[in-house]
Amino acid sequence: MWVVCLIITAGIAYTLITNPRYHWSTIRHYLTAATVLKGLWLTIWMTVLVMLIATILGLLVAVMRASKILPVRILAICYINVFRGTPVLVQLILWFNIAALYPHIRLGIPFTPVGGNLNTNALISATTAAIIGLSLNEAAYMAEIVRGGFNSVPKGQLEAGDSLGMSEAMKMRKIIIPQAMPTVIPATGNQLISMLKETSLVSVLGVADLLASVQLIYARTYETIPMLIVACIWYLVVSILLSYPQSKIEAHYDKSSRAILGKPLPTVEVPHA
Amino acid sequence: MPEQSAPTPSMEPFRPAGLGDTDGPGTVQIRKLVKSFGANTVLKDINVDIAAGEVCVLIGPSGSGKSTLLRCIDGLEQIDSGVLRVNGEDLGYIEDATHYRPLSRTDRRRQRTQIGMVFQQFNLFPNMTALENITVGQTLVKRTTRAQAKQRARELLTRVGLEGHGNHYPAQLSGGQQQRVAIARSLAMDPQVMLFDEPTSALDPELVGDVLDVMRQLADEGMTMLVTTHEMGFAREVANSLLFMADGYIVERGDPREVLANPQEPRTQQFLKKVL
Repeated sequence: MWVVCLIITAGIAYTLITNPRYHWSTIRHYLTAATVLKGLWLTIWMTVLVMLIATILGLLVAVMRASKILPVRILAICYINVFRGTPVLVQLILWFNIAALYPHIRLGIPFTPVGGNLNTNALISATTAAIIGLSLNEAAYMAEIVRGGFNSVPKGQLEAGDSLGMSEAMKMRKIIIPQAMPTVIPATGNQLISMLKETSLVSVLGVADLLASVQLIYARTYETIPMLIVACIWYLVVSILLSYPQSKIEAHYDKSSRAILGKPLPTVEVPHA
Repeated sequence: MPEQSAPTPSMEPFRPAGLGDTDGPGTVQIRKLVKSFGANTVLKDINVDIAAGEVCVLIGPSGSGKSTLLRCIDGLEQIDSGVLRVNGEDLGYIEDATHYRPLSRTDRRRQRTQIGMVFQQFNLFPNMTALENITVGQTLVKRTTRAQAKQRARELLTRVGLEGHGNHYPAQLSGGQQQRVAIARSLAMDPQVMLFDEPTSALDPELVGDVLDVMRQLADEGMTMLVTTHEMGFAREVANSLLFMADGYIVERGDPREVLANPQEPRTQQFLKKVL
């Protein structure tokens, strides 16, 4: 087995080094080029922003999905199905062209003359469309992840809350959400890493992300493969970096397993007078 | 399956001597209570009065409806028909001169805080320390200040013999300690009736004693308690009434020592022969 693996690795390494068409020097040159780094920066902040919006929105949708009120629940189910059931690329293009559907957005109180119209094209740039599209899509997935976390909380926990006279909101805040975290956090970490790569889709809207910036370069120089490798290297580096904080956060939420790890907390409580 | 016929009420309703009121705080009154899960009728016709300060032990084979009865009294299960009055109030309903209508959610929650429940599996909140488990209901539901809640929690921990364990998470406590924290958590809400659903069944035998001691102390202080248990020793020593349930009916009720020594109903005799 070792030998087979070694031969395969050696073969790959050999062709990587000896095939001149990889243009390693070009790769090295463009890896830290200003355009590429600018694209990388956009990719990173867009990933973080989208995940932030999607997590908050997803939590909201999941809470709605768990609601006792039927119309609220139906609304959440529809949201999840529509946004998960259509391709994210289509959604992105749709948001980009939303002005065709609603040329003006009216801000103000509905059905009253208070407020004013805004031009949709001016309001929603390519970047905004990208952020809206990715966030709304990701929120549907996050909602399902959070719902899975909610369902992982044992029924007895909710009964204990009921028995203390807690309201639905109190149980949600004090019991369900904290206990769902150990299930939700690792899955969210995976989503974050997926999102990093998913942002490459926004290049179709002309947003200058990492992929779009290398595309701009190879459109000029025709060094398609080396430039794509540049993008891949950066995607790879950032994904590896992102998986590190995930394990940290996981450990933070896993308070209840401390005893199992054999590290009982010192007793520092001061007996009352 | 042959239809179960209701046992004929041959005996006078049992009243343990020397106890308080049968209406008002600390009492439970049940008339013709029926509870089904789908086609399965778990409680068929329950009639019982628990007086203030009474310690009532419920025994019976599994599936006899003991736990369901306790869960109904705690409001965790909605009853199908009958009357269920706890602490002198209809549970979940209010009766005025002309109407019999459901209570608001807030009022139902208020009723719940006056009934304490201790679960077989403890159900402590694993994300909170022992102290936080005891303070959370006080600060959130009863709106006591944080300092007062902590003070009360420490007192209660001392009372259940767990002084100094306040900063431990449930996973760092033994089963017996967890169950005692769970009792303290219920007591923090100042309930007038305490329900214990097989409180020692999930415990290692050597840990049972500590929990029973806490319950005994609570009984001595005059708390109304309903306990489903297999601890016949506890029934004999602490309880002042014993209820034998089978197939969704209360088959026999009486003084625990008398019933355990000399059961009247054949169904009770049959059951006790197996467990004693």
